[in-house]
Amino acid sequence: MMILLLVLPLAAALLMLLWPRIAPLLALFSAAVCSFLALQLLLQVSEQGTRYWLLAGWPSGLAIAWQADTLSCLLILLTAVLQLLVGFYAFATRARDKLSQGFWPLSSLLQLSLTALWLSRDLFNLYVCLELLALVAVALVSLSGRKAIKPALNYLLLSLFGSLCYLLGVVLLYGAYGRLDIAGLVSQWQPNLLTNSALLLMSLGLMLKAALWPLHGWLPAAHAAAPAPVSALLSALVVKGPLFILCLLWLQLASTEQAQAMAPLFAGAGLAALLFGGWSALRTPFAKNLVAYSTVAQLGYATLALGLMLKFDQPLIFAALWLFVLAHALAKAACFLAIGEMSGTLGGKRLTTLKGASQTMPLAMFAFAVAGGSLIGLPPSGGFLAKWALLQGLWLQEQQLFWPLALVLATLLSAAYVFRVVVLAFDRADPVAPDFSPQVLPQWLALLPALAVWAMALFSEPLLLLLRLEAL
Amino acid sequence: MSLLLFDVLLCGLLLALALASVLSRQLSHAVILYIAFGLLMALTWARLAAPDLALAEAAIGAGLTGALCFTALARQGKLAASPTLSWQQRCWPALFVLVTLFGLLLLVLQLPAKPGPLPALVMQQLAASGVSHPVTAVLLNFRSWDTLLELLVLLLALLGTLQVAPAPVYQSSWVLSRSWSQLLAPLIIVLAGYLLWAGAHQPGGAFQAGALLAAGAVVLKLNHQLNWLAWRNIWVRFFAIAGLTVFVAAVLTAWLLSGALAEPVWLRWPPELAKYIILLIEIFATLAIAITLTLLVVAEQPATPLSLARQEDDEAADG
Repeated sequence: MMILLLVLPLAAALLMLLWPRIAPLLALFSAAVCSFLALQLLLQVSEQGTRYWLLAGWPSGLAIAWQADTLSCLLILLTAVLQLLVGFYAFATRARDKLSQGFWPLSSLLQLSLTALWLSRDLFNLYVCLELLALVAVALVSLSGRKAIKPALNYLLLSLFGSLCYLLGVVLLYGAYGRLDIAGLVSQWQPNLLTNSALLLMSLGLMLKAALWPLHGWLPAAHAAAPAPVSALLSALVVKGPLFILCLLWLQLASTEQAQAMAPLFAGAGLAALLFGGWSALRTPFAKNLVAYSTVAQLGYATLALGLMLKFDQPLIFAALWLFVLAHALAKAACFLAIGEMSGTLGGKRLTTLKGASQTMPLAMFAFAVAGGSLIGLPPSGGFLAKWALLQGLWLQEQQLFWPLALVLATLLSAAYVFRVVVLAFDRADPVAPDFSPQVLPQWLALLPALAVWAMALFSEPLLLLLRLEAL
Repeated sequence: MSLLLFDVLLCGLLLALALASVLSRQLSHAVILYIAFGLLMALTWARLAAPDLALAEAAIGAGLTGALCFTALARQGKLAASPTLSWQQRCWPALFVLVTLFGLLLLVLQLPAKPGPLPALVMQQLAASGVSHPVTAVLLNFRSWDTLLELLVLLLALLGTLQVAPAPVYQSSWVLSRSWSQLLAPLIIVLAGYLLWAGAHQPGGAFQAGALLAAGAVVLKLNHQLNWLAWRNIWVRFFAIAGLTVFVAAVLTAWLLSGALAEPVWLRWPPELAKYIILLIEIFATLAIAITLTLLVVAEQPATPLSLARQEDDEAADG
């Protein structure tokens, strides 16, 4: 059954290229079926335990290794569901936004490449998935037409540089150990100059692709230039792919000494991302750039959690890392759809066009505020859940005052940039009049993921349990 | 001794050409030097006993990439004067490259001299793979999932290009080059067919054959032949995705055929059919690669709905 998760999007994308007319229907159909299958897979894996595959049945080492653990299944489910939601949004706004037909096959291929990435446990296959992901993302950004060509090209070049760095690391490891599957490499791993440099090179490439501070420079321009549904997909899903590989490398491959040595660097980069990303989000005059900078800041939480996980090796912190990713994906999809909807209807890219939006477009504004609540970490949202798990993990380690304090500061910053929008929206004295009467359905679609991120609280117990088990 | 001299000369030339290409002031010169660099690189791969890579490098690295660069240059129209970089701006990248280079050299010296366990494993399992050339066996049997995704990467490159492709520039072609390109075409088809067939037991295969076919098609297309070869033609689209379609169909068929087993294995070819499945995939992959690469080089804005909406938008924005 699981094979259909990969075959369906691919077959749908190929058919869409032949008959562009039926593309939206095919995309929605494949995303819907995939969401259902992914849910089934998640239930199956959480009941029966992790599943392993050696593709084509060749002996280990020769074949590409796949692994479906609960984390992978959760991410596959998230990918399929967000794909479905964004597909619906694009379909609902197709008459107004005139999104190019190219969107549909590309979005299906995005789903395919991410699903392949979450499953793969082979360094070279991961590289191919990364390449695929980068090309899809760049093609999606360039859907905006001429104004997006420059950010798209920058994104492409930096992403290729990142891929090259990653590939160099893979080559070094293959030269040293003669194999590419992670399980096989772990059994022979020795901390020495070769593996150190390979890990560093791969991390450099992945950090560039995941837009982790200080290599985030390309992200705001690229994500802000893309059409709203594309920005939602890029911010929610695409940057998480390289992050996933980064976690695989440092949590599974690297030896304890290597991990300990790298921990402060990741934690520091995460903290810097939180502060600088938050500050830039406070300063930018454009609505979409604010959300994009907030992505940089929120990725800082994940980096910080990765650093702390490497340092303390505490399952709760690992769970916090992936809760951040899940909560951020849902919240950011809602933010981008809501902002896209508002700037489309109110007619302007600047933040000031959102003036009085709570009156003119209450639903979309509500979606943004609700999602923003999760970005800040207000209880009982998904963002709060993640932050709570992180703090709890830190409290279990004694004498840790610095990191909780830093988290509080970061929270205040994110509250500041979310309220910057909300305050403007409640300035009802002289609201910006909409260019046409606001559409209701797209606003509801923007609200859905925002509600979902608050609904994460209902599933907090099983989620924490599943993710904590994964860390062992 | 003479071979050593040849190798030293080759290395020196490679370095010189690379530097000349990077430092040359005119982009067209840089491209020509880069093509020469690609040809010598192909020779280098051949000297390193990697004939598969040599073929691919000659066809793609030296041939098609050069053509791609030239068509891109031709569409630039009048080039804006490239900004002159200051001394410091040139220095930092150079420093970065030098440091990385020495670091990598240091690391390469640390690599163990003996090969890893995989080549032996490949040779051991080769008999069951359906082909006798190890590279083809790895590409289309042992690690066929990678190859499937790589085919997709190629298709995606085309899709991305079509999004931003500029309107075509009409230029007249030279009569002599047109007749020469027509003479060349049958020869290229025969050569590509040979390369494809040879892939089963010696260097060659779908990528090389496809690249060669594409080179022939590009020459014809630049001489205003093959006017049907455009993305708006549904048959062209059909064959551009044929490689992937056949691949997926083969995978699904093989998967269903092995359904009698308790746990069907994804991507596994039945050993007695493996040879024919691989040949079938290779034939359609060759066609798909040829068409995709050709369209990449001569990319024209398609008149299909793929970009119609955007074109209208752009016109509205311009007007």
